[in-house]
Amino acid sequence: MKLYKKEGNVLQILSFSNESAEKGDYLLVEDAEAEKALIVQVIDVQFASIPGVLEELLRTLPDGGELMQGENFDPLEIAPHITYIQDASLLICKIRATMQNDSLSPSSSWLPSRSQSTVKKLPLPMLMKLAKVNGNLPIILGSTKDSSLLTIDATALDGGLNIISGKKGTGKSHLSKLLMLSLVGFKATVVVFDLNGEYLSLGTASDGKRNAYYDKVHVLTPSQNFKAALKQINLHVLLGILIHALHLPGTSAREFRRIWKTLQEKDMLTLHDLGETIRIWSCNQHVRDALSSRFHSLINSGFFTDNIAEGTTLEESLFKAKEQGGAVIINLRNTSAIDRQIVVEYVLGRLVESLASWKLKAAFLFAEEAHLYLRETYWDDIVTRMRHFGIFTTFITNQPDTVKENIYRQADNIFLFNFTNEHDLDVVSRAARVDTETVKSIARDLPPHYCLSLGKAVGDFPIVVKIKALDVKTMGETRLFFKDMN
Amino acid sequence: MNTQAVRIRMPPKTLKPRHEQTTVAAVDTSVIKIGETATGALIAVRGASIMKQNKRYHYTRLGPFIFHITEENKHEVYNMLQRTYFDSSLNPNHHGCPNLQQMPTRLASLFERWLQSMLARNTKNGLILFDGSLTAGTPDTPIQIMRQILTTARKGGNTVLAFSKMTTLRVNGRLITDLPLENEPPYLLEIESLRPKAPIALMGDVYVAKLANGSYAFRLDIDREASAEGKIRAVEQLLGNDLLSQSYPETLRLAHIFCTFTANEVLAMQHFTTRRYGLRLVNRPDMHSLLFGPFGRGEYYS
Repeated sequence: MKLYKKEGNVLQILSFSNESAEKGDYLLVEDAEAEKALIVQVIDVQFASIPGVLEELLRTLPDGGELMQGENFDPLEIAPHITYIQDASLLICKIRATMQNDSLSPSSSWLPSRSQSTVKKLPLPMLMKLAKVNGNLPIILGSTKDSSLLTIDATALDGGLNIISGKKGTGKSHLSKLLMLSLVGFKATVVVFDLNGEYLSLGTASDGKRNAYYDKVHVLTPSQNFKAALKQINLHVLLGILIHALHLPGTSAREFRRIWKTLQEKDMLTLHDLGETIRIWSCNQHVRDALSSRFHSLINSGFFTDNIAEGTTLEESLFKAKEQGGAVIINLRNTSAIDRQIVVEYVLGRLVESLASWKLKAAFLFAEEAHLYLRETYWDDIVTRMRHFGIFTTFITNQPDTVKENIYRQADNIFLFNFTNEHDLDVVSRAARVDTETVKSIARDLPPHYCLSLGKAVGDFPIVVKIKALDVKTMGETRLFFKDMN
Repeated sequence: MNTQAVRIRMPPKTLKPRHEQTTVAAVDTSVIKIGETATGALIAVRGASIMKQNKRYHYTRLGPFIFHITEENKHEVYNMLQRTYFDSSLNPNHHGCPNLQQMPTRLASLFERWLQSMLARNTKNGLILFDGSLTAGTPDTPIQIMRQILTTARKGGNTVLAFSKMTTLRVNGRLITDLPLENEPPYLLEIESLRPKAPIALMGDVYVAKLANGSYAFRLDIDREASAEGKIRAVEQLLGNDLLSQSYPETLRLAHIFCTFTANEVLAMQHFTTRRYGLRLVNRPDMHSLLFGPFGRGEYYS
């Protein structure tokens, strides 16, 4: 390989067919005299602009577009040299760092010698060592192209905001399960909003037997084993549900607050008494109607109860998770859109309460397709306020445009699976941790289960990794009409 | 070529394509200088023959053959190739060995004559197309060699037709290929009274051939020993058996395309010579550019 051109932080390297380099590979451009080296990443592979190639191709197809038959007597065997030149490729590389005395700096301000520099592949384990991507809490994400394992440190996810994105069927949920179980393995508390019931069997191995996580996975299904007792709910949590999930107007919310205070003083916080009080409460008829309709929505959700014993499962699960590490799976499958929002408002409210009162140290929240249940104002809340309380969120989505731009900008880690849609690529390329060209060029060509990891976890060196398989029972597969039909 | 006044025989002979199955074969060679060394030059020669039979084209490409020509070895290389390609009886060699600058074209010509003789020997009852004319008696084309090629071709029932892309022959001051005629192509216009001075000899009768619609016409030499009808029939068979885009036969066009060197191949050959033989190519400075800067290329444009 030979250094050809540098424009800004893009390096062009001439490569021949016997020197295989692919998108995502790292190269070391070493200038021995300057005692420095550039670490660059291949983001595109193009044909080198060799003069005469067009003529060469055209003359092989003059017979009505078909390959012309014939013999070549090439006693000096020049043909392999022609092929060698013709197949030369141009590697478009992004400069990621400068290495000097075994330490890395993000500088790309110097120019290595074109004639004297040597270009060689940089194995990923060596890169990770240089980037000091290691630690005491290793999470093996999978294998890289050079068959080495990519291990990140769980602390890179701690206190951060993560995004897992990619088109349908590329392996997003698989990675989120891997991260989640690894965190649980390190005794972390994980809360999952499980929209499609994909996480329900994480405690079961693929052969149906219990696995190591069986006792650490707590599945809470709203209205079944997960209910909220009115007496245990803080007023602001319930108001949050009424205002944000059920769109109660401000005036009505003020009346509700009065009703609630009254009932609380009389120790009458039951569903029956709440309903009765709304019915006879002296207020504007429209306000009463508004309160009444919201009350019936709460009742119809089946999520609320007067039985305190029924309403303690979330706290119990969180407590267990705190002690041993564990995942609290909020099963939102078969839950209507309104009920889903009620449950999410409730869980987030209770989680903040627990964290604020230091009953919980921190929690990792995994939110699949969060736009389907997360209210508009929560997005900013999650990356600012809730982060300080200790809620560290991982968003998982196949519709990247549903995640706000500022979330991408503030994300600490992004795990990108394949995207082919130009609009989707535009959206994800707004991430602050990487340049647009890298995302667009590499993410477009990722095979299923391959992921482009960006951010703190990989020392800000974008790395393509094949996510390792998990021995858990698969759930949430798309139901197919033609499956097993032959 | 020194000739007396050139005359054309009017009217032109109108042609009708003959579609009986006839083999069309063509040959061409190409030479290129791929670099200079401290002691000489590296040149590459390649030849291609194209055969059209049953509406299919088939090519045979020979080379490239790379020669490192120096003042010291040029005689040896040239004479060795001449001896290898042709009987010594056919090589009067009175022109001697060319100088270093002429060597590329002379080697290519030598190779081309050999390829033509091979094609003449191996083609039966067909049409053999050459690039250029059937003029002999030049250092590139000794009369004996051209005569032997034509004789061999004739023995195999073939007719040799040579197409020249360029000609210097003029009638009333105009190039013979630019004569304004209103006849509908395809037609042949015979050129008379061509009597070149010795040692130059014309081995074919010369025509202007306009074989397809369009603005192009070519000088066409047809083996003089062929009968008058045989000459016309040969061109009509060509019309019926080959594509004639812009009046030029496709078979001959392909021969040219297949032997021509592309820039990519030059790079490959430079790569080969450096790798295999450790030859160091010298980049001689362009003295025109060096001395005259932007004015250094003026003479090429003038």
